[in-house]
Amino acid sequence: MSNRIVVDPVTRIEGHLRIEAEIQDGKITDAYSSGTMVRGIERILQGRDPRDAWAFVGRVCGVCTTVHSLASCRSVEDALDIHIPPNAELVRNIMFCSQYMHDHVVHFYHLHAMDWVDVVNALQADPKKTSEIAQSISNWPNSSPGYFSDLQKRVTKFVESGQLGIFTNGYWGHPAYKLPPEINLIGLAHYLEALEWQKEIVKVHAIFGGKNPHPNYLVGGMACSINLDDTGAINAERLAHVGKLLADGKRFIEQVYIPDLLAIAPYYLDWGAIGGGLGNYLVYGDLPTNGYRDPASFKFPAGAILNKDLSTVHEVNMREDSEIQEFISRSWYEYAEGNDTGLHPWKGETNIKYTGPKPPYDFLDVEQKYSYLKTPRWKGNAMEVGPLARMLVGYASGREDFKEVVDSTLAKLGVPATALFSTLGRTAARGLESLLIAGWAQEFYESLLTNIRNGDTRMADTSKFNPERWESFAQGVGHMEAPRGALAHWCVIRDQKLENYQLVVPSTWNASPRDPEGKMSAYESSLIDTPVHDPEQPLEIIRTIHSFDPCLACAVHLYDEDGKQVSRARIL
Amino acid sequence: MSPNETYPRLLILGIGNLLMGDEGVGVHLAQRLALRELPERVDVLDGGTGGFHLTSYFEDYPCLIMIDATLDGRPPGSIRRLEPRFSSDFPRAMSTHDIGLRDLVEGLHILGRLPKIHLFVVSVAELQNMYIGLSPEVETVMPELERQVLELAERLTVGS
Repeated sequence: MSNRIVVDPVTRIEGHLRIEAEIQDGKITDAYSSGTMVRGIERILQGRDPRDAWAFVGRVCGVCTTVHSLASCRSVEDALDIHIPPNAELVRNIMFCSQYMHDHVVHFYHLHAMDWVDVVNALQADPKKTSEIAQSISNWPNSSPGYFSDLQKRVTKFVESGQLGIFTNGYWGHPAYKLPPEINLIGLAHYLEALEWQKEIVKVHAIFGGKNPHPNYLVGGMACSINLDDTGAINAERLAHVGKLLADGKRFIEQVYIPDLLAIAPYYLDWGAIGGGLGNYLVYGDLPTNGYRDPASFKFPAGAILNKDLSTVHEVNMREDSEIQEFISRSWYEYAEGNDTGLHPWKGETNIKYTGPKPPYDFLDVEQKYSYLKTPRWKGNAMEVGPLARMLVGYASGREDFKEVVDSTLAKLGVPATALFSTLGRTAARGLESLLIAGWAQEFYESLLTNIRNGDTRMADTSKFNPERWESFAQGVGHMEAPRGALAHWCVIRDQKLENYQLVVPSTWNASPRDPEGKMSAYESSLIDTPVHDPEQPLEIIRTIHSFDPCLACAVHLYDEDGKQVSRARIL
Repeated sequence: MSPNETYPRLLILGIGNLLMGDEGVGVHLAQRLALRELPERVDVLDGGTGGFHLTSYFEDYPCLIMIDATLDGRPPGSIRRLEPRFSSDFPRAMSTHDIGLRDLVEGLHILGRLPKIHLFVVSVAELQNMYIGLSPEVETVMPELERQVLELAERLTVGS
């Protein structure tokens, strides 16, 4: 007999992402991932001025606001053949790096760590032993017995009050939690320290983007001016502040995030063989060091890996009609050419047609259409995107910096390279790329200072800002590596207006439903064979899905204060 | 609210998604307020879908007036004021495993850095299509919402 369990929401937001999984003899035998919230941003953009698109798309999501704005600017610049000056590229790269450091640390400590760290169990830790462990894994200063014992006292009060969701809503005590209380306490301490730390790094966005959240971008460059002596501009003081923030960020990643990962992982090495899924990985590439049009200069190399074969990195052409296509045979949309057609995003259509059950419902009819996400494919292949894909493509491309961090981590954990293709591998990859990015941020910052010292203060190319200089028809693609994976915006501009605009976001690649041939996408595929100890508390499902850093376009937050629990995981 | 509650600085923080109709009511109000003169010591911020990005504002101000949409089943456009003290006074969900405003509030609570929060919620209909603007039901109450928010902001800063 098999049970179907429903996990909804997997993210905080009701109706956002829903997983239905069939369980037989304690293992998942089938899984369905559904985005149950409609996205219609494409239609909001049609007919608008392409130069404004970045501001709208930046609102689509509250976690990665800047990534959509950047992809949008690049898309329009690509269409109009605008080349941004080196400083603008460096500022964009620095904002990208700080976004990553913020996003990955917050994801780890405030979302994913709690899948591995039992915070309630941390109260049983011996502060002295905790201190010894903390000091043996890192030079981070907050590590005295007194520090941990004070923290325990403070937190005990909240746990006993029963008023904080973090201590009441988890699967605390679940047998799949394996850490000793002392490491749980370190995790809890750093949950709080990360909260304090993350508010600083985002200030980089406010400095270069004028405000945060939702910083300003500009088609043609960046909307900030450099003048070392002007109080209203990016001056010497603000640049020094950026330098300090980036250095502090790097220190936190080196001394807190990475040591914690390496301390937690040895207790969960079995997860190095769970949750692998597709084995196909796709990266568009990012962090140009010689312009967006020179992919060889990217810090993150582009490419695709198929069937876990690291000996070959395939080239990806985002402009080729037959390479990237979106399907809707299992999604609540209609295409003019029919249900099983695949469309390249430049020809993409967004005609929503909901045919699912009327809410509230117990479960979806997964034999029919069952998601608002379209299903993207590369040359017909389902692909995983994200940190693991980036680390693997960098590794397989022979990049020394990638090889160094990956090989040394595998050696430290004493696991073979095959452990990379797993839930644990995905979670480790996110940490390792944070480490790389923190280092690259220093390089970009130094380059920016050098340019400014040499008298180059150009921040935008406005020669084509006037629409009268545009061709009557143009199309472009703006791609980037968002923290969650490959992201691209395809735009079609006719008579100075957006005629079509299509986003293919990372979670669409990963969380989409099956394609016309019935092939699963990354989430679904990664859940197959995952053991589930207790269907009422499917911690294992959450672990694997969270390892992808699920985020389905836009943090809609609505208050349902009458306490109606939509979250559930139950047997049907 | 205690009768003598006053603060030296206060932030009016409108949050929500501008692209989702009435869900963006908090942002619409913030943008409205940004165009007018505000009481001394009162600032306004369009917090958008900021989540964790808003941390420093929570730490920099001793008091916040937040405005957001709510799905509480009341007629669209209903305005209510809440004084959430714990994250559990905010709506419940399985927040342990997720990121957002409530987790932020919770973390700050443990750190002992949670400011006083007054929360105005505006009821919206269950289904919000993606468009920029407000429904007539919510648009109609905007002047009243603005009046209530400003009146409270003034009351909370006068005499401090």
